Amino acid sequence: MAAPLLSVTDLAVEFSTDEGKLRAVDGISYSLNPGETLGIVGESGSGKSVSSLAILGLVPYPPGRVTSGAARFDGVDLLKLRPREMSRIRGRRISMIFQDPMTALNPFLTVERQLTEVTQRHLGLSRQRAQRYAIEMLERVGIPSAGRRIFDYPHQFSGGMRQRVMIAMALSCKPQILFADEPTTALDVTIQAQILELLGELQRAEGTAIVLITHDLGVVAGVCQRVNVMYAGRFVEEANVDDLFARPRHPYTVGLLHSIPRLDRAGEALTPIPGQPPNLAALPSGCAFRDRCLRASEMCGQAVPPLTADGKSTRDGVKGGQRFACFHPHPVPEPAGAPTP
Amino acid sequence: MSDPQAVSPGPVGSGRTRAPGPGLEGSTPAPEGGAERAGVGQAEVLLEVHNLQVHFPFSSGGWFGQGRGVVRAVDGVSFSLRSGETLGLVGESGCGKSTTARAILNLVPPTGGQVLWRGRRIDRLAEREMFPFRREMQIIFQDPFASLNPRMTVGDIVAEPMKIFRLYDRRRRQLEVVRLLDQVGLNPRYLNRYPHEFSGGQRQRVGIARALAVNPKLILCDEPVSALDVSIQAQVINLLMELKRELGLSLIFIAHDLSVVRHISDRVGVMYLGRLVELAPAEDLYRNPRHPYTQALLSAAPIPDPVVERQRRRIVLTGDVPSPDEAHEGCAFADRCPIVEFDCLRISPILQGARHRVACLKAGPETGNGEGQGEVSGG
Repeated sequence: MAAPLLSVTDLAVEFSTDEGKLRAVDGISYSLNPGETLGIVGESGSGKSVSSLAILGLVPYPPGRVTSGAARFDGVDLLKLRPREMSRIRGRRISMIFQDPMTALNPFLTVERQLTEVTQRHLGLSRQRAQRYAIEMLERVGIPSAGRRIFDYPHQFSGGMRQRVMIAMALSCKPQILFADEPTTALDVTIQAQILELLGELQRAEGTAIVLITHDLGVVAGVCQRVNVMYAGRFVEEANVDDLFARPRHPYTVGLLHSIPRLDRAGEALTPIPGQPPNLAALPSGCAFRDRCLRASEMCGQAVPPLTADGKSTRDGVKGGQRFACFHPHPVPEPAGAPTP
Repeated sequence: MSDPQAVSPGPVGSGRTRAPGPGLEGSTPAPEGGAERAGVGQAEVLLEVHNLQVHFPFSSGGWFGQGRGVVRAVDGVSFSLRSGETLGLVGESGCGKSTTARAILNLVPPTGGQVLWRGRRIDRLAEREMFPFRREMQIIFQDPFASLNPRMTVGDIVAEPMKIFRLYDRRRRQLEVVRLLDQVGLNPRYLNRYPHEFSGGQRQRVGIARALAVNPKLILCDEPVSALDVSIQAQVINLLMELKRELGLSLIFIAHDLSVVRHISDRVGVMYLGRLVELAPAEDLYRNPRHPYTQALLSAAPIPDPVVERQRRRIVLTGDVPSPDEAHEGCAFADRCPIVEFDCLRISPILQGARHRVACLKAGPETGNGEGQGEVSGG
């Protein structure tokens, strides 16, 4: 088995606020293999975006601070790099795209200037070659008349086209890892389908590993191989995508799946998760989910359940094993396995 | 296939217009060929929208106004809504679904067409004449942060519509506020708190309580759950469905999330560039979409099931939604349509059909229920 491309261990990020210190990310670990797509699913405030910003050295300090952990990439710990060393990796070997391309692109510079800057700087291309390459990239991401549009400013593009420009920029140095933070959330579904398809194509062509951060379980089902579910700064469940949807174990995962209506089914009642999203300043003791959890017992208030594999689950120990942080997990539906009845 | 009647610009909808008049309340004939039957039987028609248009003139600068034009935000939308029915409106950003809702309420003045509330025309009313109708038609908005006054307590926010319509005395209003907060699942002890003390989902409940305060018959819900977290969306959807059932409300539910709309709606209309391109009972529309745009939209929406996702075939549309500021000859969807034909470029299709209506020259015949004019559907 190949060594993972990136391995994150025990990452924690704190923010100082008026309400005291908040742990936005509270000790998460994961590894990312070459060419795979890993989903990080969570709702607002779960820490899913901050965890990626931390790896890229982009957590604003103050108020944010990475308080522990390591992120090993190609023999170095990204969290220990000095800003100058990090900037040689970021944008070149590890890249990112964000939900809102309008805030990520500089509105005062043409797309040409922004695209060529990356390759001039990281790959040492001349302006002229960088420009030719930039046009090529824009064509690859499906921007019509790229040779002309490259001299436009970001506001002259539609939302979907802007996201394509961002993707072109993020991928122009052929990074090994792409962090995609809600890359299609601001887009309409037909455009979302185009962008996801495009990311998949580019991934297959270049072998880029993608960390997809999203709240949308539908998108996860469509593009991810493995998934981490995040709640209040921690991973509460990790599994390969089929297991996660076929036999979710953590009550939060189950709750999420029961909260979304399905396009292909009619009339199934929704069972919402009771209560409100977690407030990091006032988390309950023990399991952060317990005040919304129907399965919670006394012991859930006494200790934080560790992320562990269930001795009974079938794929223990093998790659893609399922782990969850719960004292009272949902049982595996019987019989396990058979995807179609 | 291209029935000449299908392209005549003549009367709206199915080609039948009713003389609007005051005497129609109560026993209203079906305006769309008896098509509206999705589980609400022959309930009273509350709302009729005929060929609604909202055109915004703009000038893109230039000293002599060279850059003038018109944005056709809503461009000939017709539908009706019965008492107790939920009509979903879906479409992508800029398709005119929110503007349609605002135009119905005269929050944006329509530039053409008619809006009838229980048989009375309300689209041309002055604000003073519109006032009594506002009690019957309420709206809730997408952004629960922007739609509640941050300087008012939740109790005052919910009481305000009752004050405006001079309902009850002060004491009774207080009791009503308590009852309403309870009804939407908020602890009435919170009535002296301010909106910022609540989460997004709770704020949306406040908005719903405010809308219910004047006992409306219709609530227009403009993307009411889009800004909420997944775990909270289901709470609000269930609440709306319960309230609808208990209070006999009608809803117009506007959203871009197709699965949410399917879940909550009896009938669904799909909008594209200011027009309704398909309008049908929810189950028919989702099982058997007839318009190529609806088909693409449904195929693009992700399904939270990896096994299903792997087997799906997507219709990936090329290009972006065109700008609504240019007049289109022919079908507005033609330049992205996978089955476009020459005729589509010059003939503008109108919405036609009995129960499952579609605006497409190439749509196949209405299947199944099409001929069943007298049939009462089982559900």
